[in-house]
Amino acid sequence: MNFFSKLKKNDESQLIKQLIAGDERAFQQVVSEHHNTMLSVARAIVGDAFADEVVQDAWISAIKALPQFEGRSSLKTWLLHIVSNGAKTRVRRENRMSSLDEHWESEPADKFDHTGHRYDDVLPWEQATPEEILANEQLQTIIEQTYQELPALQRAALTMYDMEGIEMNEICNILSISSSNVRVLLHRARTTLHHKIEQYQQSEK
Amino acid sequence: MYQCKDIADEVNNYIDGDLALGKRIGLFFHLLICSCCRNYLQQIRSTISIVTVARPKEQDGTDIDSLAKRLHSLCHEEHDHH
Repeated sequence: MNFFSKLKKNDESQLIKQLIAGDERAFQQVVSEHHNTMLSVARAIVGDAFADEVVQDAWISAIKALPQFEGRSSLKTWLLHIVSNGAKTRVRRENRMSSLDEHWESEPADKFDHTGHRYDDVLPWEQATPEEILANEQLQTIIEQTYQELPALQRAALTMYDMEGIEMNEICNILSISSSNVRVLLHRARTTLHHKIEQYQQSEK
Repeated sequence: MYQCKDIADEVNNYIDGDLALGKRIGLFFHLLICSCCRNYLQQIRSTISIVTVARPKEQDGTDIDSLAKRLHSLCHEEHDHH
């Protein structure tokens, strides 16, 4: 374990002690940090209709189980497993399943000739850093909207892997799908976002 | 010999390091000779960085403050109960 991991683990142990002791600010911090990702996981497994309820139940289970939390995983991963288990139970009860293939548009085939070469040039994007690109409010809105229009499983995979840095094997366990399926979801989500950013870049030229 | 279409199909696995060595080397050699695909790879990398920085969120009407307060009260009740 490196220095930063140790530091993070110590911070988290402290935070859990504060939660158990009933520190109100600790509750605010944990709920605001993790609620949205938990909702993303619940929507991916059980769908929109029951996701809110599943997440609320998961929070209650987590608070009750907090004194037994042993810190073998991060608090975030532990919470996501609780919400995932609750969502899977709900799926069995409601007999619902999310599909991996909903709403997917691949890279259009007309971008390539019969040998697989691109017809058009791909030019480098102009702005240098993500921070500079995001200084543009219009683009920020496009990213937010595109993300929200992605299928729930793609959103959950993208959120956990790219935004939360959760390990691939944990994501597979949480969503109960293979790593190759998670890779497919990531590929689709990133490609869709890339198309939208590219369209925006071209419209600005 | 790998083509632009192969880069488009495998770009994310290439970035995430989830490819067999032979395929990785094949794609690497295509990238050496194709500036379009190098730019495309760079755009996908930028997309990932942008998303990581932007952190788009689920649409959610939850009142986070009141949920935190409810959980806080529940924690007190549990504490008193024990």
